Amino acid sequence: MSSVELRKVDKHYVGYHALQVIDLKIEKGEFVVMVGPSGCGKSTLLRTIAGIETISSGQILINGRDVTREEPGDRGIAMVFQSYALYPHMTVAENMGFGLRMANRPKAEIDAAVRRAAQILRLEEQLTKRPKQLSGGQRQRVAIGRAITRSPEVFLFDEPLSNLDAALRTQMRVELSSLHAQLGSTMIYVTHDQVEAMTMADRIVVLNKGRIEQVGSPLELYANPANIFVAGFLGAPRMNFIEATVAAVDASGVSVMAAGLPTLTFGGVEASGLSAGDAVTVGIRPENLRVVDKTGADMPAFPGQVRLVEQLGRETILYLDASPLQATNSDSGTGNFTLQLNKVSTLRTGAVLEVGFEIGEAYLFGPDGRTLTPRKGIA
Amino acid sequence: MSRFWRRNRHWLTPVLFLLPGLILFGSVILAASVETIWISLHAWDGIGQKTWVGLANYLELADDPQFYVSLKNNVIWLLIFMLAPPVGLALALIVNQQIRGMRILKSLFFIPLVLATVTVGVVFGWVYDPNFGLLQLFFGVFGSTAPALLSDENFVTFAVAAAGLWPQIAFCMVLFLAGLNNLNDDLIAAGRVDGARGWRMLRHVVLPQLSQVGFIAIAVTVIGALRSFDMVAVMTNGGPYGSSTVLAYQMYEESIFSYRFGYGAAIATVLFVIMIAFIAWYLHGLVKAERSNA
Repeated sequence: MSSVELRKVDKHYVGYHALQVIDLKIEKGEFVVMVGPSGCGKSTLLRTIAGIETISSGQILINGRDVTREEPGDRGIAMVFQSYALYPHMTVAENMGFGLRMANRPKAEIDAAVRRAAQILRLEEQLTKRPKQLSGGQRQRVAIGRAITRSPEVFLFDEPLSNLDAALRTQMRVELSSLHAQLGSTMIYVTHDQVEAMTMADRIVVLNKGRIEQVGSPLELYANPANIFVAGFLGAPRMNFIEATVAAVDASGVSVMAAGLPTLTFGGVEASGLSAGDAVTVGIRPENLRVVDKTGADMPAFPGQVRLVEQLGRETILYLDASPLQATNSDSGTGNFTLQLNKVSTLRTGAVLEVGFEIGEAYLFGPDGRTLTPRKGIA
Repeated sequence: MSRFWRRNRHWLTPVLFLLPGLILFGSVILAASVETIWISLHAWDGIGQKTWVGLANYLELADDPQFYVSLKNNVIWLLIFMLAPPVGLALALIVNQQIRGMRILKSLFFIPLVLATVTVGVVFGWVYDPNFGLLQLFFGVFGSTAPALLSDENFVTFAVAAAGLWPQIAFCMVLFLAGLNNLNDDLIAAGRVDGARGWRMLRHVVLPQLSQVGFIAIAVTVIGALRSFDMVAVMTNGGPYGSSTVLAYQMYEESIFSYRFGYGAAIATVLFVIMIAFIAWYLHGLVKAERSNA
């Protein structure tokens, strides 16, 4: 029995299809992160699981029970809001105990639950304060504490860290992960931050335009994105894409031509439906590019001029002008290529260098955006 | 000139912007109040010479039975007007529901707000008329006759204040509707997740967010009850036999009809002191609310 199951969940607004036939099973104790760009429907999906928003059709099951028509308070869920949504007129303790109070639990039980949650979240000193007197990080903890005291079957998080500064965000990320390990509850977490998704999730659900693009473990999604959207969305810096055309399809594989590159042959490709002249896309992650010798290059290579160097200490990110290559990269814009070196580099802006990559580390995406290259082992 | 301006504009700009308001407030409110207090220390018919009488007007007031009738009636107004905030809140909660046809109902409730107070007074005068009024129609159904509310000294103030209550309720309803529009959706959602619904959602999540609006509604209603005048003037002229006067009306009557401007000013000063107490409480509340929001 799954902890949360969505069956053909669909939501229409007037003139807008927010969620399009979402099917998803989330197992007990799983930490599932939903990611996607703004407007992809991830928050809407979370709010429908909470019951704050209704769905147009489909079914939502929590612990095997159909809760589609139930009020949020009856679903056995707790939610942490992006704005924290703490009751401003109540103390921290009253905020955390409010759910149990509404469930008419005895006062001693409420006090014990609040104390336990406060201990986990190191809020014992703050219990008599009001939300206004707390820092952003403390308010965040109170919001989580309010969820914990209800001891729900499922925790729902709606971009809980996006109002915190970078340092606090990293700290809370670690704390949430250890909280999950400690409580063992099912957690569903919505974010637009792919670092949060990659670091916290057991499984990632990538959403785009109200549809699920792919579901899988972080490394699985990173190594084997199902399509060009997932490939471009996960990974920082983002994957480079080169526009190309199919030259030939034969037994040895698919040959692809791109301006500024030698002909590339991808072996073992699912080539069904592909024919010469089709527009395809080649994808290469920045860390799979390397600077090569001009002379003895035994791999596909192309020249590029350094536009910008970012030194990150252990790593260096180079932004290259690689024309006449038809390259796009959502980090650095059209005509640019991003290259990540795992060392300090002495290269300066304006330097011209030769860049190469292993064909086995490149991806090929079909005209419909589907990934055509065979599954790669998870590193 | 421009150098002078550049050097001094950090204080000149705010002063220039504040000046029109300050002049208006200073002449219409402040100077008028001070002059009223000054006049209250004189005997004056409004035209001739003022004669200094010191506190004589106030001493006479303390022995004037009519003054106590007015004061008592103001208290009655105040108590009846205190119904406006809760009834206005209840109406606001009802018409705020997302039900078909609610918009029409909402605009119907707005009507007393657009009517001039005089119109409301005249209309209620007709409603109370024992010959052809709505009240008589209602009593006629049960085969009895309506009491002549406006000519009965025991009922008249209640009847007039009830008429004044009608637009006051509409006003409070509008205030609370605005407050309901500003509710924090996330807080309501959090309340639903916490299992609050119905009365407990209202009590623990919605009403606390309306506390500031409620405070304004109460304060404005208190002041409205204290300065009531027009309804009395239109419906009863303070009658029968002065039994429905309020302080503001008695001041008007003494000054304009009895040519006793000094005595009228003394009544006005007493009303002013009562008002000041409420306004101080109101400002204190406002400042406190603003501080806690900062």
